[in-house]
Amino acid sequence: MRRSHLLATAACVTLACAPLAANAQFAPAGSGGSPTATVPGPGNADEPTATTPAGTSRFSGPSPYAPQAPGVNAANLPDIGSMDPNDVPQMAPQQSAAPAQGDWSAYGRDDSQTRYSPLSEITPQNADQLKVAFVYHTGSYPRPGQTNKWAAETTPIKVGDGLYMCSAQNDIMKLDPATGKEIWRHNINEKYEAIPYTAACKGVTYFTSSQVPEGQPCHNRILEGTLDMRLIAVDAATGNLCEGFGHGGQVNLMQGMGESVPGFVSMTTPPPIVNGVVVVNHEVLDGQRRWAPSGVIRGYDAESGKFLWAWDVNNPNDHSQPTGNNHYSRGTPNSWAAMTGDNALGLVYVPTGNSASDYYSALRSPEENKVSSAVVAIDVKTGAPRWVFQTAHKDVWDYDIGSQATLMDMPGADGQTVPALIMPTKRGQTFVLDRRDGKPILPVEERPAPSPGVIPGDPRSPTQPWSTGMPALRVPDLKETDMWGMSPLDQLFCRIKFRRANYTGEFTVPSVDKPWIEYPGYNGGSDWGSMSYDPQSGILIANWNITPMYDQLVTRKKADQLGLMPIDDPNYKPGGGGAEGNGAMDGTPYGIVVTPFWNQYTGMMCNRPPYGMITAIDMKHGQKVLWQHPLGTARANGPWGLPTGLPWEIGTPNNGGSVVTAGGLVFIAAATDNQIRAIDEHTGKVVWSAVLPGGGQANPMTYEANGHQYVAIMAGGHHFMMTPVSDQLVVYALPDHKG
Amino acid sequence: MPNTYGNRTLTEWLTLVLGVVIVLVGLFFVIGGAQLAMLGGSVYYLICGVLLVASGVFMVLGRTLGAFLYLGALAYTWVWSLWEVGFSPVDLLPRDFGPTLLGILVVLTLPVLRRLETRRTLRGAV
Repeated sequence: MRRSHLLATAACVTLACAPLAANAQFAPAGSGGSPTATVPGPGNADEPTATTPAGTSRFSGPSPYAPQAPGVNAANLPDIGSMDPNDVPQMAPQQSAAPAQGDWSAYGRDDSQTRYSPLSEITPQNADQLKVAFVYHTGSYPRPGQTNKWAAETTPIKVGDGLYMCSAQNDIMKLDPATGKEIWRHNINEKYEAIPYTAACKGVTYFTSSQVPEGQPCHNRILEGTLDMRLIAVDAATGNLCEGFGHGGQVNLMQGMGESVPGFVSMTTPPPIVNGVVVVNHEVLDGQRRWAPSGVIRGYDAESGKFLWAWDVNNPNDHSQPTGNNHYSRGTPNSWAAMTGDNALGLVYVPTGNSASDYYSALRSPEENKVSSAVVAIDVKTGAPRWVFQTAHKDVWDYDIGSQATLMDMPGADGQTVPALIMPTKRGQTFVLDRRDGKPILPVEERPAPSPGVIPGDPRSPTQPWSTGMPALRVPDLKETDMWGMSPLDQLFCRIKFRRANYTGEFTVPSVDKPWIEYPGYNGGSDWGSMSYDPQSGILIANWNITPMYDQLVTRKKADQLGLMPIDDPNYKPGGGGAEGNGAMDGTPYGIVVTPFWNQYTGMMCNRPPYGMITAIDMKHGQKVLWQHPLGTARANGPWGLPTGLPWEIGTPNNGGSVVTAGGLVFIAAATDNQIRAIDEHTGKVVWSAVLPGGGQANPMTYEANGHQYVAIMAGGHHFMMTPVSDQLVVYALPDHKG
Repeated sequence: MPNTYGNRTLTEWLTLVLGVVIVLVGLFFVIGGAQLAMLGGSVYYLICGVLLVASGVFMVLGRTLGAFLYLGALAYTWVWSLWEVGFSPVDLLPRDFGPTLLGILVVLTLPVLRRLETRRTLRGAV
């Protein structure tokens, strides 16, 4: 989506008209027609069974009981045994519970996932002197003949003498934090075919064993979930597999998942460990089929790798592993965002996504409708939810939650502090909840939403929740006059495109006869970069997008004509449909066509800039916006994908989060101008920026080594954001601290 | 008549090209603007498109009226855009930047159009 920006240049202004013939193409592919298949009623969630005769099915998908394709169990691991959650040994004190001053011990630095570092060597006064201290190459990038599906999104962690990280394809490494020298590297031999929508590894988890004595291998371990669905544990000191974990250090997470193919189901986030339970979620590729593999959440013993429990939405009372040909319930909401653990309450906060077939909800069960696009607090002792807070009811807009929850303390009514959780959403609505019971601390209103909609048998929810106590991270609903362009010609094109679509605000109902505009789109609002929170100053830092989408449901016949097929269809061709783009939604009466709301001839977004923003919110004084401004310049963006080189802070789409430090700085890359910035936390002023070797679509982190502060960012780029891919981790420090 | 098209100077050719460009832009405005108006959107493009087509045609015919029609359309464009979005540079950019640049070129053609008109008058042509 980085093609979205542009600055007018004189020559193009007058001549940049799409040819007149373009008029005939204002309608996107897939307009018109009515559904050919009969539409089942609401709540009809009858998953095919082993005895469903294949011939009577309207649709051609493989039976969920079909054997898994070769390679789905990537390392051909034997099944893992189960154990009673009550037998999980007492967890040793973890580094992430109270990180050393100079450490960054978990994905969001600590168990609260604040992304706040107490380091203060780098300040607004000296940040402009920051220089590259070292660069580390992970070695993972698209090779000739491979489609670019790369976006490493990696945040290293730093514990003691090591900087631990993963490559986009899950190789694990330990670096010297002062020099970037590789101390060890563990290659896991992941296949290209295992890459789902994106080759991403957001990070690894550091765990200290209570069972293996100090000084022995695997007392301290690095755990990682992989794209090919393995849970891997290696010794932090040597990088060797932990023999006592799973089968030779690995667990096959495809166990119990039923029919699948490589790339359908993937882990991209570091699993949290709560009271000795490593909790695993996974992404299920969007848009493929209604009966996609399950979105089950599972707990494993962090010591032995043994299975403890499953939370399987459509089997809410069965927390065990399926046996034989059985499998976890299909098509249930998947959770692909980073989860947050809470040792004190024994909970894991799971940000959920949507049921499979994101844009059609008539085949979802009532159980799914209760927990999709929600925060679900699961008891790590049992695998049962203790509370659920839903952020979008019966979501058909891909408003799944991409962000990780941040834990903090809120002042309560009677002077006591309330343990709180901040949940950013793609909607730009930020919910602040009591983590003991999931009740909103700041007001949430159920407001009327368009209902029932036009899709037969698939009514929308009459209300949707709005967090009225927090500043909304969105702009007002779009108007025709918000359409933009280089000239009146492309602006006219976008005005027609706007008027041709259905649009009644954020919850515009899906339609078949014509497109509908979805704003905020699936890129947010807030996405996986999450937020950073400075508990000292009470300042919450949020970066967010203004990137509407142009969607349309298409009949099955039209979907077939467009070649939309699920990934496990034998005729599937890569690129023929994938997450966050067009999707077959096999098993439903419709396919889905999704494009950015843009001028497809210039590659510019149709709406006016900015397309990305950063906001500071004062959480201690009434949730006021302290400062807010566009994030990202037009330097690397322009019409037809051409960089303009202009330093205008137009505000670009952004992916990746921020860091806030005691030094009073916010570090953030994220924008598609491929720069990293240091921003004064209190004023919003950009005090330093540097151009990265690739897109900075990752969360940065900061740490101390040899008494000096370093700032690290994975400049891995992002295929979907169209930023340059690189395999470089770039680490900055003040001069004289070069490795 | 053959002479009118036979011995054009460079500036006359450029004026002709500019006229054609304005006709094309005007046609785009008329067709797109009619669609937009039918969809319930702004009628500015349709009205402006008619002015532009007329302007371009007269310029191709070598008439100063063409240039003045364009400048009229430009004035209309500025008034409309200020009414629609106010003094917001980001929003004025797509609406006025290109048309104003074209307007400068149109002003530059005025002497050429005058010359063409004079020549035609001398010859007794209309």
